[in-house]
Amino acid sequence: MSSHDLNGPLPHEPERATLEGRNKILGFWLFLGAETVLFGTLFSSYLALRHNTGDGPTPNELFQLPTVFLATMILLTSSLMSVFAVQSLHQKKVKPMIGWLLITILLGLGFLGLEIYEFTEYIHEGHQMPTSAFSSSFYTLVGFHGAHVAFGVLWIGLIILQIMKKGLTVVTAPKVYVSAIYWHFIDVVWVFIFTVVYLMGKVG
Amino acid sequence: MSSNHHSSHDETTTRHRVEGPKKHIVTFVLSLVLTLIAFAAVASGEINTAFTYIILVGMAVVQVFVQLSFWMHMKDKGHLFPTIGIIFGIIVVFTMVIMAEYWVWW
Repeated sequence: MSSHDLNGPLPHEPERATLEGRNKILGFWLFLGAETVLFGTLFSSYLALRHNTGDGPTPNELFQLPTVFLATMILLTSSLMSVFAVQSLHQKKVKPMIGWLLITILLGLGFLGLEIYEFTEYIHEGHQMPTSAFSSSFYTLVGFHGAHVAFGVLWIGLIILQIMKKGLTVVTAPKVYVSAIYWHFIDVVWVFIFTVVYLMGKVG
Repeated sequence: MSSNHHSSHDETTTRHRVEGPKKHIVTFVLSLVLTLIAFAAVASGEINTAFTYIILVGMAVVQVFVQLSFWMHMKDKGHLFPTIGIIFGIIVVFTMVIMAEYWVWW
């Protein structure tokens, strides 16, 4: 950090200005590789078990495409908002960056609310965690994704608080960048969830 | 990045061209269209199952490729390691999915 001290002018691409920042980004990609494998195992168990519905409802009876489409739009838009936050970061505009991050987590909360509503509907329709192999693998996969969204909302919320307290520096910038990468990854996983779980569930 | 950092602020901003939002909006619109095609293919109910599956997987793969490239900055230089990591992840996931679909219930 010798060449870029905390109080000096912010360098170009501040998230990569220090070795620590670059290592943080590289390490985060390693984490995403592990996350890919984790979600891969959940997807493969869902694919293996999705036809075993027992006495419970089938995917075709359960899923409502309009709700899923709305959830998809919310998450896709929030992903765009977080890339705008990174652009503001590169332009060193702190206030717009915080604004984009706030919209990102608000949309994330909207997505979570919709998912909670969806799950309660399913439970009323007799689709609970222990109902069938399909329901267990469904809640594990989709719930795990939802937990990632919830974690992302908390994490980005804390980063916003830290930026407001400490400002945009070579220490805080990598956090914003890495959390945006995380948020895009959550959206990428959702692309496969709405494709493999919901749309393929409707097709049968 | 290789250019020197001693230049004045104005020079720095012109030298390091800060990208506009255009390509991200294009990525968003493209993702939207691919999503709409996938939903429409299922909602219409007029396309046979096998072909619907091909459309769904195709749309998802293209959308994820576009988002990884632009939103997750994998198109930018210095992303060899993330690319290797993602390819490794895809190989593992592909193996597990094939196993789940074709081997578990033999």
